[in-house]
Amino acid sequence: MKAALNSGLLRRLGRQYFLFSLLLLILGVIINASLQQNFFKPIALVGLLRTYLPLVLLAAGQTIVIIGGGIDLSVGAIVSMVNVILVTRMGADATQSQVLTALALGLLAGTLAGALNGACIAFLRFQPLVTTFATTSIFAGIAVWILPRPGGSVPDFFMQPYRSAPLGITFPLWIILGVALLWWYLRSTRFGRYLYATGGDPYAAYMSAVPVEWIKFFSYVISGLMAALSGTLLTMSIGTGSALIGLDMTMPSIVSVVLGGTALSGGAGGVIGTLLGVFILAIIRNIISFANVPSWWQTLVNGLVVMLILAGPGLWALIRGRREA
Amino acid sequence: MNKVSLSAQHLVKHYGGVVALADGNLEVHAGEVMTLVGANGSGKSTLGKIVTGVVAPDGGRLLLNDREVVFRSPQAARALGIVAVYQELSLVPRMTIAENIWLGHEWQGTGAVLRDAEMRKRTEEMLALFEGTTHNHLDPDLPIASLSPGEKQIVEILKALSWQPSILFLDEATASLDSRQVNRLFELINEWKNQGMAIVFISHRLDEIYRIADRVTVLRNGRTVATAPINELSQQELINLMIEGGVATRTNGKRPETSQAEEILRVESLSTTTLRNVSFVLRRGELVGLGGLQGQGQTELLLALFGAIPYSGRIFLHGQPVSIHRPQEAMRHQIAYVPGERNTAGLLPIQSILDNLLLPSWKQYGFPLRVRQAQEDAAGIANVLKLVMAGLDAPVNTLSGGNAQKVVLGKWLLRRPKILLLDDPTKGVDVGTKSEFYKLLSELRAEGTSILFYSTDDEELLGLCDRVMVLHDGKITADLSGERLVHSELVAASMGSSV
Repeated sequence: MKAALNSGLLRRLGRQYFLFSLLLLILGVIINASLQQNFFKPIALVGLLRTYLPLVLLAAGQTIVIIGGGIDLSVGAIVSMVNVILVTRMGADATQSQVLTALALGLLAGTLAGALNGACIAFLRFQPLVTTFATTSIFAGIAVWILPRPGGSVPDFFMQPYRSAPLGITFPLWIILGVALLWWYLRSTRFGRYLYATGGDPYAAYMSAVPVEWIKFFSYVISGLMAALSGTLLTMSIGTGSALIGLDMTMPSIVSVVLGGTALSGGAGGVIGTLLGVFILAIIRNIISFANVPSWWQTLVNGLVVMLILAGPGLWALIRGRREA
Repeated sequence: MNKVSLSAQHLVKHYGGVVALADGNLEVHAGEVMTLVGANGSGKSTLGKIVTGVVAPDGGRLLLNDREVVFRSPQAARALGIVAVYQELSLVPRMTIAENIWLGHEWQGTGAVLRDAEMRKRTEEMLALFEGTTHNHLDPDLPIASLSPGEKQIVEILKALSWQPSILFLDEATASLDSRQVNRLFELINEWKNQGMAIVFISHRLDEIYRIADRVTVLRNGRTVATAPINELSQQELINLMIEGGVATRTNGKRPETSQAEEILRVESLSTTTLRNVSFVLRRGELVGLGGLQGQGQTELLLALFGAIPYSGRIFLHGQPVSIHRPQEAMRHQIAYVPGERNTAGLLPIQSILDNLLLPSWKQYGFPLRVRQAQEDAAGIANVLKLVMAGLDAPVNTLSGGNAQKVVLGKWLLRRPKILLLDDPTKGVDVGTKSEFYKLLSELRAEGTSILFYSTDDEELLGLCDRVMVLHDGKITADLSGERLVHSELVAASMGSSV
């Protein structure tokens, strides 16, 4: 009885799109643990989680856009924009109500930014890549206009939750759990079904009465909102502002999605895989910094490893295809 | 008992200057199976599209239960119970059978969470309708991409059924089903009919029409020419209704007996996913037509010979076996393919006419390129083709449809092909350009080029070709030449009839 249950569970796991990512993550953890003595100590794990939590939210939003058949290059700029809005609106001794106003403003800005992307792409039929590249400049420009030079600060009580651990579970884990639950809910609704249909075959979806344009629009709105939440968490984590702070997060957000088994062609994958993808990325970086790679090579090595992993399935298919031919 | 009824009256539809439907009439009542028949270009698919809300008519009216209705979309028609079964067009490959069937009208529970378990159960019940006719047991959780064409078609039918239609349109829904599945579908159609559903059945298979239909509506040249109970018409009478009386005018002189000419191409039991055991011979200077209704494997045959799609079987050139598995290999053997979809497969629209003409031929001009020579050759070809253009430097998308099609042909003529594969090249081309095109083909034929010419225009095939091979369901059902190269034979063979 138990064996049957086990094999059923294994078979279901084997069918999941993120199986490869899971194996990769396990491999990464093993390598990392052998290099870093204290890897399994809570302090190291929690540190890693706190560093990568903003990316988790960003990549989750990115996943939704990519499943819907698009891509969002502007998420990093939205993070910057929200970050500078928060620090300029708060200051070190802001009251609770000022903090709440700033938060609302930040989230609104992110959502509107997503709506701008979505409207251009869904209703005006602009190319996602070009549109979000262009809006990146707009959002980054707004950020520089709001805060030309890095600086500013936020009240302590705003940063405090990020380091807390309600019920003995560290704050980042709560957020990750929340993201996973929200995703599970989204998947179980019509929106989730329509999202996969829109990314998988827009024409077939249209013929089946799916409101393809609205689904695309809302995928970007969600991505904008998630970027705003990511910017909020980032601000809670570092306590200061910079108009350039988020720009370096766009590419990792896309790479995490792909590492998590979501196809860039749309219509397949999911946020659970992306969570694994973020962890894989975190662990690769961690391994490189612990493997005594000289610091000026770290970026190069990091890039090569990611490329190898991304090319893996394609190379495998190519080699197999050649043998058959 | 006659609950639902649909009546289309005097429907008209133009596409640009082309009249697709001049006077389309169709009436169907609850509890009957109406079939719609017609040759290529008779307007039957346009009529079907108007009635199911896919295209809007330019004139005429639609009455549903004696009240006039206007459909702005397929969804609007579906809301009133008129549902069409599409040919694999409405399925998302990466989603499961159950997800696809309920796509667009999922059952929602509390908190907008979908009632997946219930939909899955209902899907199982629906799949049970076709139980035993599929190779594998169909599970609701299987992704569409893993299904065979016939199984996908079954899912399409069940998807239409899940909308609980009162009027069901089956447009060539049996095309990818095997005989067991067709039998099962016909049993189900009879059940649905007895439950009061109205069914419109469009098929290219005459035998199926006679098995399932109660009444038949015949279209010819965009007009409904007859509606009658099926048992009052013999197959021969039906075919006569589908074709116009009179003989097609020859646009091309009869050529001397070709059966003695040198054999250029021999094809033996060529099979692809659509073609089944196709064998034939093409001789030097022969213009052979490929006929039949659309989508019977004509394009696949041309693509296979051009090495663009995988196939099995043997191909001989000048009696030597050759292996052609890539377009480059075909070109090396001087085989050229002129695609029908010139905008997607034949031309680079924003590039100049010159660049388009020379694209396949640059190799002939050495390194560095002898550009002046190339330009002269291109100008020569443009002259032969009588291209109406602002200049060779003008972008191709400034040309009219007919002239653009000439460029597609011209770019292959520069390579002096021995075998020319033409894939419905005159579709959407004006009459004047067509006749120039015909002249060009007869000149090529006189020079000894062998031409395989697929056309959806029967008049064109009869007027131009020395011989016409008719394809039906991926097989050559007739090889018409001489006395037998007449319209009635062509249409009969197109419908798979042996009359």
